[in-house]
Amino acid sequence: MTPILLSFLALVILTCGSGLAMLFTRNILHAALAMFMCMLGLAGLYVIAYADVMAVSHLMIYVGGVLILILFGIMLTTQQSRETNGKNHLWVEQRSFIWSAAVGLSIFIALIYVFSGMDWQLHVVGNDQSKLRDVGVALLTKYAFPFELVGVYLLIALVGATYIAKRND
Amino acid sequence: MTEIPVIYFLWASAALFATGFTIMVLKRNAIFILMGIELMLNAANLNLIAFSRQDDAQQGLMMGIFVLVVGVCEMAIALSIIIQVYRQFQHIEVGKFESHN
Repeated sequence: MTPILLSFLALVILTCGSGLAMLFTRNILHAALAMFMCMLGLAGLYVIAYADVMAVSHLMIYVGGVLILILFGIMLTTQQSRETNGKNHLWVEQRSFIWSAAVGLSIFIALIYVFSGMDWQLHVVGNDQSKLRDVGVALLTKYAFPFELVGVYLLIALVGATYIAKRND
Repeated sequence: MTEIPVIYFLWASAALFATGFTIMVLKRNAIFILMGIELMLNAANLNLIAFSRQDDAQQGLMMGIFVLVVGVCEMAIALSIIIQVYRQFQHIEVGKFESHN
């Protein structure tokens, strides 16, 4: 049990535990909070996989952007629900739990089976230097065209989202 | 410094993917379904990052960054569609939509 393995385990427990909390809760606001914890754990996992740039950008984009967007979505679509138990009205309906859990569990087992059938003794290029310089140089030289393309794509998507969400009456 | 074997990352991402899929088929709220899809996307991204350790050129890392942007675009478009659906039907319960005309 090395310290890095211990921290990996802790981060996996944080990530998968918050995922399971998202699964078991019926309050959508609690699910958003669990998703926040899940994104924190994922960023930690990225750090352990030597991808510090990815971890920081993941935190900035998901916690700072997507989660805020989801919270706004929840707030804009809250209904005056049937169950008024005095606390909140954010309970969501569910399908039958048994069948969904069976499907999810079988996907999990199939993935584990596929992954275990392979010999993953690959050579790890273990440089624990920061990847920031590599990523920056690669984005402006080798991946310059995809970088520009994805920028234009993001612009189109955001303008389109604004246009779709506008009130048309 | 000891390395985490890549299979551990694969197991973690398998668990995350299965959880996201279960959320997607279990919940009926459209935003909740979107959160499940986002979890699945992040599980796939974790695989890319984990495999990128074996690569000198770090192609998985670059791919992961582009996947991040695509995920944000998907989220923005999907939420705006959900808001428009809410204006139309006054609820976002998947499976309860009925045509008005």
